[in-house]
Amino acid sequence: MTGMDHPVSAVAGSGAPRRGGLGTLPSFRWVAIAVILVGWFVYYPIVDNFVVSTTNQDIYTGEIEYVGLDNYARLLDDPVVWISLRNNLLYAAISVVFQVFAAFLLAAVIEGLESERSRRFWRAVYFVPSAISITVTGLLFYFIYQPRIGLLDAGLSALGLGALSRPWLGSEDTAIYAIIAMSQWQGFGYSTLLFGLAIQKIPRELYDAAIMDGAGPLRRLWNVTFPMTREMTGLMIIVTITGAFQVFNEVMVMTAGGPNNSSQVLGTWLYQQGFIQNEFGYGAAIAAVIFLVTLVTGMAQLWYTRHRRVQL
Amino acid sequence: MKRSSHVVAVAAASALALSAGPGSAREAVVADPNAKVEYSGTLSILTKFGLQQLSPYFVNVAKEYEKLHPGVKIELIQESDDSVKGKTKTLVASNSLPDIYFSWTGSWGENFVRGNRAVDLTKVVGPDTPWGKTLSPAAVKAFEYNGKLYGIPLYLDAKFMGYNKPAFEKAGVGVPATFEKLLEACDALRKGGTTPISLGNKEAWPAVHYAGQLLAYNVPTATLERDFDPARAKFDDPGYVASLAQFKALVDRCTDGAAVNGTSYASSLQAFSNADSAMYYQEIIEFDQAASADTKLKGADFGFFRLPPPAAAKGDVKAIEGAPEGYMINTASKKIPLAIDFMKFVTAPENARVLSAPPYGQPSAAIDGASEATMNPAVVAGLKDIASASYLMPWLDTANTPRVAAAWLSSLQALVGGTMTPEAVMAEVKKASAADAKRK
Repeated sequence: MTGMDHPVSAVAGSGAPRRGGLGTLPSFRWVAIAVILVGWFVYYPIVDNFVVSTTNQDIYTGEIEYVGLDNYARLLDDPVVWISLRNNLLYAAISVVFQVFAAFLLAAVIEGLESERSRRFWRAVYFVPSAISITVTGLLFYFIYQPRIGLLDAGLSALGLGALSRPWLGSEDTAIYAIIAMSQWQGFGYSTLLFGLAIQKIPRELYDAAIMDGAGPLRRLWNVTFPMTREMTGLMIIVTITGAFQVFNEVMVMTAGGPNNSSQVLGTWLYQQGFIQNEFGYGAAIAAVIFLVTLVTGMAQLWYTRHRRVQL
Repeated sequence: MKRSSHVVAVAAASALALSAGPGSAREAVVADPNAKVEYSGTLSILTKFGLQQLSPYFVNVAKEYEKLHPGVKIELIQESDDSVKGKTKTLVASNSLPDIYFSWTGSWGENFVRGNRAVDLTKVVGPDTPWGKTLSPAAVKAFEYNGKLYGIPLYLDAKFMGYNKPAFEKAGVGVPATFEKLLEACDALRKGGTTPISLGNKEAWPAVHYAGQLLAYNVPTATLERDFDPARAKFDDPGYVASLAQFKALVDRCTDGAAVNGTSYASSLQAFSNADSAMYYQEIIEFDQAASADTKLKGADFGFFRLPPPAAAKGDVKAIEGAPEGYMINTASKKIPLAIDFMKFVTAPENARVLSAPPYGQPSAAIDGASEATMNPAVVAGLKDIASASYLMPWLDTANTPRVAAAWLSSLQALVGGTMTPEAVMAEVKKASAADAKRK
């Protein structure tokens, strides 16, 4: 008997299967709707995207030309793809530093505070930016980065560092860093909150034992807190890296990928190709790259986490 | 193994079948002037009037039409100048274009014609038809493709340099007659502590608008029009590089320089309205936003002039950059006669005059759609300038193919930022055009 043949009642162990009605439905039928929905809305678009990426489509005329892997070959010769990939990697690397490791340290500090009121206060302080919509945050930072009159340049001038002022979003050298900085400001508190929850679940006895063994705060952080939050750390690394490869709104709101494509990321370049330049096949090839990068990252990290899991 | 291969094959086949997303070829549809109008059902329309100031226009017209025809419901999809581009393409890709939709002229509109998505309106809006006689012939002709008319022009648009009269007086400068004099005026204004021109180029098209007008002055019209077509384009006229060098000089001497790439065009319009800058290069349809009773810059202090041509210009110095903007009717619409009837109502003189007057300030393409008594005098004067122009230079980003337009947009940002020379910009444009020609 295969799993598909199990009557639901038998699986549930509620006595003899009833004849007629829902009780006789094979378990597959119970999940069939969910399987169809997931297949149709999640897996079919993925397959379809790969199919579209082997074509050149004209959305106006409906003409479809099958071009095999030409769009993938074109990716290699497109300098903006490499700029975008570099920007996504920068986004991922900087985000992992701030939203995983720095957030972990901050969470450890906050959860180490004696007073529950203080802990609640600091959690809230760091979480507030995450509650603001990305579009609003983008506009807020657009004004902060405004040349001369923006908060950043005004602050630098007030500190006697006016020479550092520059068109943060208008310069090809700084635009992507300005966007990444904004993203850290927004995402940092959310990661801190999640790490805080993971730290709260660590049994108190482990810390007590470590203290009895003479371990100081740093030793406890390294030998207790860090290993006991490894799963959360792994999860946060996956979420952060995949998030960095799916970034779109921040860039669109602040620079739209400019100036001169210097702040393009794969997501915005995909949009530019598909919806502005009418190159849907090529856009689908870019989407396939994003999918593969995030899939490989996620699988690698899951594998690593599973093999390094700490069992209590 | 065999079973799983079969499943994959079925999935792939189904994906292939469904990925014919854009749909099969469509038949051309010709509007019948004698078709009976059924006043019932819902009529959908995609407009470019999503901005707060403009959105009431279609809302009010729709209400009036619904009042006249109680069986009809008008469904509005209102987008802004920037968002309408993405929205339109999404609707095209999903075969969900509404009955009536906004369109620019040039290659933008041509796409709908090429895909048989725009109804041939020649028999209802042509110059000899009752409706055609009520519209500006030049505006109607701007939507002509392959000798047929596909669009209903709603308003005229062109680019002018708006200026702050008191700022000019304070700096002791007059309206410049040549491009070189404009640069000198910028120097004088800057010396007096005023930002000469506010330019926001975050969206990249504002720089393209400057370049477009300068190209019209420096490159012969026939050469420009040849170069719009990738199959024939050469981009070898020296006027191209000269125009870009002039634009770079303007950026360096008149604006905040590279910083403008990080400033939005809305912010720069705001700076001009707040009297923080002396000039702003704007469309005639923005005159009422730039100076009004609600802005620091009042209507009486607002003046405008055409971007002055360089002394050694070899192109058409009487050309103005601009084009009418209008609407097309979806060939897939089940209510084409009703859609035509609604657009006749929108362009009727009483509604056209409302459109031309503040707060909308969109100079109607209807011949009786302008009333000097109710319109902003600057808009009236601008319309006379448009009428006297020898050539309407289309927007570079809608006249060119999307790939060439993208090259103009990003390369001009680099020119503004100082990371590309005029020659390098032209090399990028040529490369994009050659790639398009190869593809076709």
